[in-house]
Amino acid sequence: MLLELDAVSKAFPTRGGPPARVMERVSLEVRAGEFMAVLGPSGCGKSTLLQMAAGLLPPTEGVVRVLGRPITAPPPEAVYVFQQYSRSLLPWRSVRDNVAFALEHRIGRRAARAAAEAPLAQVGLAGFGDHYPWQLSGGMQQRVAIARALAAEPALLLMDEPFSAVDALTRLDLHALVLEICARRKLTVLLVTHDVEEAITLADRIAVLTPRPTTVAQVIEVGIDRPRDPVATRELPRFLELRHALLERLMTRHVG
Amino acid sequence: MWGDRVRAVLPGVAVLALLLAGLEWAVQAGLIRRVLLPPPSVIGATLWDLLASGAFVDPLLATLQLVFAGFAIGSLIGVLLGTAMGWWPAAFRLFEPLVELVRPVPKSALVPPLMLFLGIGFTMKVTSVALVVIFPVLLNTLQGVRGVDRVMLDAARTHGWGSAHTLRHLVLPAALPFVLAGMRISLGLALVLAVLAEMLAGEGGLGFLILDMQRSFLIRQMYAWLVILAVLGLVLNGIVAALERRALHWQNRNP
Repeated sequence: MLLELDAVSKAFPTRGGPPARVMERVSLEVRAGEFMAVLGPSGCGKSTLLQMAAGLLPPTEGVVRVLGRPITAPPPEAVYVFQQYSRSLLPWRSVRDNVAFALEHRIGRRAARAAAEAPLAQVGLAGFGDHYPWQLSGGMQQRVAIARALAAEPALLLMDEPFSAVDALTRLDLHALVLEICARRKLTVLLVTHDVEEAITLADRIAVLTPRPTTVAQVIEVGIDRPRDPVATRELPRFLELRHALLERLMTRHVG
Repeated sequence: MWGDRVRAVLPGVAVLALLLAGLEWAVQAGLIRRVLLPPPSVIGATLWDLLASGAFVDPLLATLQLVFAGFAIGSLIGVLLGTAMGWWPAAFRLFEPLVELVRPVPKSALVPPLMLFLGIGFTMKVTSVALVVIFPVLLNTLQGVRGVDRVMLDAARTHGWGSAHTLRHLVLPAALPFVLAGMRISLGLALVLAVLAEMLAGEGGLGFLILDMQRSFLIRQMYAWLVILAVLGLVLNGIVAALERRALHWQNRNP
């Protein structure tokens, strides 16, 4: 098992009152090589879950394990891709230096710059190395963030609603990119999203969360063959069936 | 391009010229006593003599040296202490009461006691300038270091950046706009304190000369030195503004 959340709970202190329990004994297992999506309504603490999986936030109770090893700090196997690309990239650095960010502390700035070209080409940004983030569109900035994550050659990619801040067409482009990268590399991905179609398009398994205090309601096998095309996949009967079931589930839970 | 720039500054220059012409007329017509304010043309001639004879060089260099030395020392201390206080809570708790105690004291009031300890030489003057420079730089650095985006810091952590690397390559560059803003404020104050310390110490420099000329009733010379001081302030400010633009080119999001 590459990543395990074992009965993880999270409570945040509140002013004067008892701690707010946002997550209640969440257990989740991510196998090596699989793409798992965590699907939940807005505000259910999906990001909190992912930050604990990344070692960025300590759980109040429970244990997070990477390759069976309990973690208390960000493990070298995992890299986190943030929702807010505009805040996770360094605005004073060129695109190339932003990708070198992933490696420079290990192999030095010069070697890291050289190593940045391949991931940049992989996300379709060859030739954009000298641009600055503010010169790029939102979708391109998120591509830079993905290139940076790939440059670190992580075993585990943790993606926090990475496509929620871009327009619908750009999102489809980025879905195609992620499908292609996963087909090419041996990557394990844990993706957090509130977008049902995104989860079905990309994932092998989908963990559905409840509203707060969050627990895992169920884990669903997507069962759609790869390679997948982000457009054609959406017309498959299995896609529509899953979409129907998941939307219904999330909506009733959301209202009720 | 150049035409546009000329057109943009033209009205301001016209106002200045008009003001000078008005003063000239007022003095010549006897509305202002010549003893208090010689005609601008006379001041201009005196200034020209000063510049042509090269007599302005030594006092100017003395003041410049004082401002630079004090500014450099004060900025260094301000950046180091501000970074430490912004990055390590322990350092903040250690130094915050001291900073809050000294910060509101007008640094000009500290020149007399400093003279007791350090005499009236260069050391005293540099210390005065450095003291006034420290605080704006320190507070701005502190604010900049503390204000570094959480998401950016998490990005560094998830990529395995160590504390030293994060401080040098993320926190300090992110805080740079604040640091430079603090330094710009401090430079103006540095000039004020340099002139004041020179006046009180009476050893040389532009500040000393302005006071000395006034006391000797060399009013034309006093105004001429004042003009030199004003130009110095203008040039220093221009240098810092240019450095700021260069260092923060990435902030210019609307090219």
